Amino acid sequence: MATIGNNNLNAKLVLLGDMGAGKSSLVLRFVKGQFLEFQESTIGAAFFSQTLAVNDATVKFEIWDTAGQERYHSLAPMYYRGAAAAIIVYDITSTESFTRAKKWVQELQKQGNPNMVMAFAGNKADLEEKRKVTAEEARLYAEENGLFFMETSAKTASNVNDIFYEIARRLPRAQPQNPAGMVLVDRPADRSQSAACCS
Amino acid sequence: MKETSRPSKKPNTLFFSVSATVEGGFHFLVLKEISLKSEEEESMAEDFSFPSIDPINFDLAVVGTGLPESIIAASSSSIGKTVLHLDPNSFYGGHFSSFSLHEFTSFLQSQQQQPNEEEVKDSNSSLDTNYTEIELKSQCLYSDIEITSNASSEDLEPSRKFCLDLSGPRVLFCADSVVNLMLKSGANHHVEFKSIDASFIYSEDGNLFTVPDSRSAIFKDRSLGLLEKNQLMRFFKLVQAHFGLNESTLDQEKKRISDEDLESPFIEFLTKQMLPAKIKAIILYAIAMIDYDQESPEQCKNLVKTKDGVEKLALYHSSVGRFTNALGALLYPIYGQGELPQAFCRTAAVKGALYVLRMPVRSLLFDKESRHYKGLKLASGQAVFSDQLVMGPSFIVPSPPVLSPHTDLQQEISQGSILRDINGQVARAVCITRGSIKSNISNMLVVFPPRSLLPEQVTAVRVLQLGSNLSVCPTNLFLLYVSALCDDATQGKKSLHAAINALLKCSMSKNRETSSLFPNESEVVTPTLLWSAMYIQQLTKVLEDPISSCPMPDGNLGYTNILESTEKLFQKIYPGEEFMPEAKAPENVDEQES
Repeated sequence: MATIGNNNLNAKLVLLGDMGAGKSSLVLRFVKGQFLEFQESTIGAAFFSQTLAVNDATVKFEIWDTAGQERYHSLAPMYYRGAAAAIIVYDITSTESFTRAKKWVQELQKQGNPNMVMAFAGNKADLEEKRKVTAEEARLYAEENGLFFMETSAKTASNVNDIFYEIARRLPRAQPQNPAGMVLVDRPADRSQSAACCS
Repeated sequence: MKETSRPSKKPNTLFFSVSATVEGGFHFLVLKEISLKSEEEESMAEDFSFPSIDPINFDLAVVGTGLPESIIAASSSSIGKTVLHLDPNSFYGGHFSSFSLHEFTSFLQSQQQQPNEEEVKDSNSSLDTNYTEIELKSQCLYSDIEITSNASSEDLEPSRKFCLDLSGPRVLFCADSVVNLMLKSGANHHVEFKSIDASFIYSEDGNLFTVPDSRSAIFKDRSLGLLEKNQLMRFFKLVQAHFGLNESTLDQEKKRISDEDLESPFIEFLTKQMLPAKIKAIILYAIAMIDYDQESPEQCKNLVKTKDGVEKLALYHSSVGRFTNALGALLYPIYGQGELPQAFCRTAAVKGALYVLRMPVRSLLFDKESRHYKGLKLASGQAVFSDQLVMGPSFIVPSPPVLSPHTDLQQEISQGSILRDINGQVARAVCITRGSIKSNISNMLVVFPPRSLLPEQVTAVRVLQLGSNLSVCPTNLFLLYVSALCDDATQGKKSLHAAINALLKCSMSKNRETSSLFPNESEVVTPTLLWSAMYIQQLTKVLEDPISSCPMPDGNLGYTNILESTEKLFQKIYPGEEFMPEAKAPENVDEQES
């Protein structure tokens, strides 16, 4: 959900798309600047967060990965709830992943909030010689469905930061949102040791 | 045997007639033709066929995604076990799920239809000769379902704005073990909560009194006299001292409740403390949340001992103030209790568990020689193998083949011996109302002590009202969850009806009085009942041998007992392993901004 506090925006962002389209790779590239040629199916983290500064505000993305639950089409409704933005990812070298991506868009339109910012990402743009889906076809589909489109490459980092910046730019600044509750956190006093740092 | 690649089509529509026991005094509409397909199912159904699962060998297979199953999946994958988590349903949560209004109705109706699916397949027809195949059946755990509506359908739109819990009324105590488990596993990051604003106790004269559940609440209370306040305060201090919850640890030993007292009935201990009847009722039923009437020990099914009673008080007391922004002792998850199993499943998935919804299990595979469990035959015809198996409460298998290696399996099936113990029942109701029971309070708990409504009411009735700020219903509407343990359906439903009627009536006549007591509560609302569903749910025991099976939602308000039995089950499967080891802090989550 997108919540505001003096020009600070918190936004939940979800990634959708077929297994192997490169969802986790996009996130890892964006959050850590890493790319692994053989990324494992699940990346072992519930979510990542990354803060971006756009003109008038800072946007803190809370990025949820599917954790592999999309593999047998078993994503929980919880995944979509309160998402302010979504990136639907397909692999430009696979027409099947493009077809499936369109299904995910339909699913999102049904489940998600109408103000959701949706990005359509044709990933693996570095594999030009194996391309099966033309940019024109994808752009046309995206326009018809109110998504913005970019071709990305998690490998070369092309357009990766750009797509997140564009989402941040498009997020509505004032959103009447779901009632915010509290996230349960152990009080600092109860916490035996503070997690120092991770990589 | 022919393999089918598509699920056997269930009938798409069901006709449902409503019994006409008029208690509530409103008329009934007959609900008809409700599609069994959920909205979600329809979207992806067009290209639906059973997927082939890869890999096929796992340490643990879990069938069903109820809360205990999900916790076991999360905990097992946290200790590095490979887990396959299946559910025949298209939704997460099983009997712990929350549904849209349509889905809720369809679910209850589908449960009513189940028992006539009785066909015993030839267990030796298995193609694979190494295994004995035993068909997995499901049993119906709901009965006496009664759905009534006196609202036009537009009043209850949109259906998907509702999140109706199947296991209500249910809340979390801030100090509940399920909260601890969420914090340990990282599942807490996936769910948001709100506090229950207030608790009330119903008195025989038809009034609702605020439950003085903490020192500050006692101080502010307007219905207690000074003497009563002192008595209650003294008693709370006594319990806190017993558990060492007080700041001063001086004379700790002296302040402990004696062993003799701890073993005595709680009610006797309360009497010994010279507490008046009104205070005793508050402590027993509205704070310790005890079900059975403690005042008549001869008839009481479960006479609570002091040690158990004070433990429940301690849970309540350590819940108050545990989280700085939680008002009282109780919490409720935004979007309903069904979020909890989802959160644990996601936690398990992050640790590598494999998730497959819409995948029924056709049969269990046992080794022909050793007669040990080996694996599952799925509805797709595929066989998957695991060392361990945990199942949800609605699945039943014919008598344990491992325990009696020489008996004929076929014979046991025909004798109908099944692996399931029914352990009492609980009557539940969900109501949709327009207008709150108490003006200015949206989320609240009301307890009706035993015999406060009817002389034959032997158990407490608990009511939880929730409003739209929890995203469980459209604006201006409220949900009322009602439950009571019962011996039979008639008795249980009678108590529920009495409680619902008392609430609707008492808010009507008493709002005048309360508004004179609390001048700012000027607005007088009379809630009207738009829709209700009432049903009897069986309570099942946890089974450990030879195949582990998880419990149904119990009749309690919180999750403590469910968690306890889940942990035991986990320890039985993986002895010596830590139940839900602490997860690393989520990566790259910066500290909270100020």
